[in-house]
Amino acid sequence: MEQIAVIGLGTFGISVAKELSKKGIQVLAIDTNEQKIQEISSSVTQAVVADSTEEKTMRELGLADFGAVVVAIGDNREASILTTLILKEIGVKNIVVKGLDDLHAKVLQKIGADKIVFPERDMGEKLSEMLVSPNIIEKIVLSPEYNMAEVVAPQSFIDKTIKEIDVRAKYKLHIIGIKRKAPYIKDDGETDFKEELLIAPSASEILQDGDALILIGTYADIDKVKKL
Amino acid sequence: MKNQTPKKFSKEEIDLVEMGKFYFISGKYDEAIEEFEKVVKINPKNADAYFNMGIVKEAKNDSSGAKKMYEKTLEIMPDHKTAKKHIDKLMGL
Repeated sequence: MEQIAVIGLGTFGISVAKELSKKGIQVLAIDTNEQKIQEISSSVTQAVVADSTEEKTMRELGLADFGAVVVAIGDNREASILTTLILKEIGVKNIVVKGLDDLHAKVLQKIGADKIVFPERDMGEKLSEMLVSPNIIEKIVLSPEYNMAEVVAPQSFIDKTIKEIDVRAKYKLHIIGIKRKAPYIKDDGETDFKEELLIAPSASEILQDGDALILIGTYADIDKVKKL
Repeated sequence: MKNQTPKKFSKEEIDLVEMGKFYFISGKYDEAIEEFEKVVKINPKNADAYFNMGIVKEAKNDSSGAKKMYEKTLEIMPDHKTAKKHIDKLMGL
């Protein structure tokens, strides 16, 4: 099972840690504040009081073997940068960091963060997008059990028709759309691609390398296809 | 990369890059990557090949692989604006 560590238990860090736990991920929560650790300890796999700016401690926690580490330190720029640097040094494969502002993000990018997120900004963008052009794909909660998700087409699906892969019978899933990359060469000779959305693809549609499938089904069934 | 290839690289490299691009627009991403890999074996400083590998890997939804290739492009050619643009997009900036 995948393991993810969350460093920094402010509002954002707690939310990420709890949501990951709900999805069945093994979560290690880290903070210097003992009270915060106690509060979250029943919601995650493991919660430890530790200083993420101490390299030795981070090594001892075995973070290099985790699928991802989320640096959710929100109030201390120096600690956020130093932590990211240490995680990079000890070989963490996927470091996601909460950005505080553009300058902070630039530093994080330079030192090797894999993804920088701006929760407030991202949420603001999503909200405005929803109000101006209702793109409801990500927002529909069908039921506590059913989900709509975008999944990269597994290699075993490529060059086969939707009829041939038969996800409806094999995985009880419905493909309601395909996000496809359309490669092209620009006038100056540079390569690029455009994203196209095929809604309600026919059974004879052949899946291509790089396709993302928009699926409806249970969390468990969608997870099976994700793991193929 | 704008008109750089003919000036800087050998004919073999240019031909392989063109073949890779042909595979890319044909949707044959793995074959495209093979061609670009041949180029960087001949000339590890061929930024064009790394950039194209980045585009192909991004089209295959291999974001981390794409990022590495764009970073290599920028190591060789720090002012490569399109590679920078793609990295920023992948980083969510």
